[in-house]
Amino acid sequence: MFGKKSTTGVNTKEVKAILNEKKTKMELSLKACAHCTLCAESCFLFMGRNKDPKYMPSYKFLNSVGILYKKKGNVDILDLGEMRDLVWERCVLCTRCYCPVGVDIPEMIALARRVCRSQGVYPQYERE
Amino acid sequence: MDFSNTFFWTFAYDFIRGPMVWIAFIVFFGGTIFQIFSLLSLTKKQTISKLTPGPGRFIPKRADGEDKKDWVMWLKLSIAGVNPFMTIVSTTFHVLLIIMPIFVLGHNILLDNSFGLSIISLPEGVSDFLTIIVILCAAIFLYRRLFVDRVRAITTWSDYLFLFLAAAPFVTGFFAYHQVFENYRLIISLHILSGELMLMAVPFTKFVHMIYLVIFRFTIVSEYSLGRGNRTW
Repeated sequence: MFGKKSTTGVNTKEVKAILNEKKTKMELSLKACAHCTLCAESCFLFMGRNKDPKYMPSYKFLNSVGILYKKKGNVDILDLGEMRDLVWERCVLCTRCYCPVGVDIPEMIALARRVCRSQGVYPQYERE
Repeated sequence: MDFSNTFFWTFAYDFIRGPMVWIAFIVFFGGTIFQIFSLLSLTKKQTISKLTPGPGRFIPKRADGEDKKDWVMWLKLSIAGVNPFMTIVSTTFHVLLIIMPIFVLGHNILLDNSFGLSIISLPEGVSDFLTIIVILCAAIFLYRRLFVDRVRAITTWSDYLFLFLAAAPFVTGFFAYHQVFENYRLIISLHILSGELMLMAVPFTKFVHMIYLVIFRFTIVSEYSLGRGNRTW
């Protein structure tokens, strides 16, 4: 259909089921994030990558779980591919990030990882 | 026909300074209570196990004080140490945003007229100065949203909307107090309306971080928690 993105290759039912488990927390965390960027310096990757905004904890959280939530789980394989870079390459889940408002960023990143993993999207270190 | 004399205008003016105030406060308090329970339902109580001294368990304090918390390092690594300017701006903005409206003389006079009770008020000059501070802080936030790369990277249109909504009661209040525009009624109506909209938005929109912060930073045990929480996710 016009305007509707193809979600072939992604089991959206499974994605939705995973998201549903954490729905309230996800919704509240996305709402509570004030986009203040004060979490940036708490990420060692952000500090080590010349303060590139793409490494900010909030950027990673909003562009992974945020997209999953906005699209209500109807993501395509390209979305997940982008998310893979975000939640695996740019985050090591060291859980040292600090949110002044109290958003549990590591858990949100872990949720995005879980969704990606359920669809077979994860880094394949032996091939790369 | 003079705009301010139309029936609609009178009705709207009476509505926003009458029933709408009650609606705003009911939505604000009702929504806040609802959100507090909904947030707490996401967490559960956790008993903190204490290590009691006993045979083989006693951990003596080091005499040289090496185990003392390094407060200088702690401060350096905190947001206040890494980003002192934004800490000051943000704290000032948020504290004044909540405290100031309660102590403005005009608000207390209205309370006195309506219920015969009022609380201490700030001198008018002080409130005026503090209002300018709040507007300045909001301007700094706006500057960051527009020109600082890292903030722009995650800014959406709703951020501007909510910044505008938070600053609007102060800007209109400032204009109304100084009677900058001839139509005082219009400005004061906008002042009341923006305040009401902001109150109603707190529990259900981005402003929910006001409730979220208090609940999560104070009740959940974590490295960064404020106070001694005894709950966990």
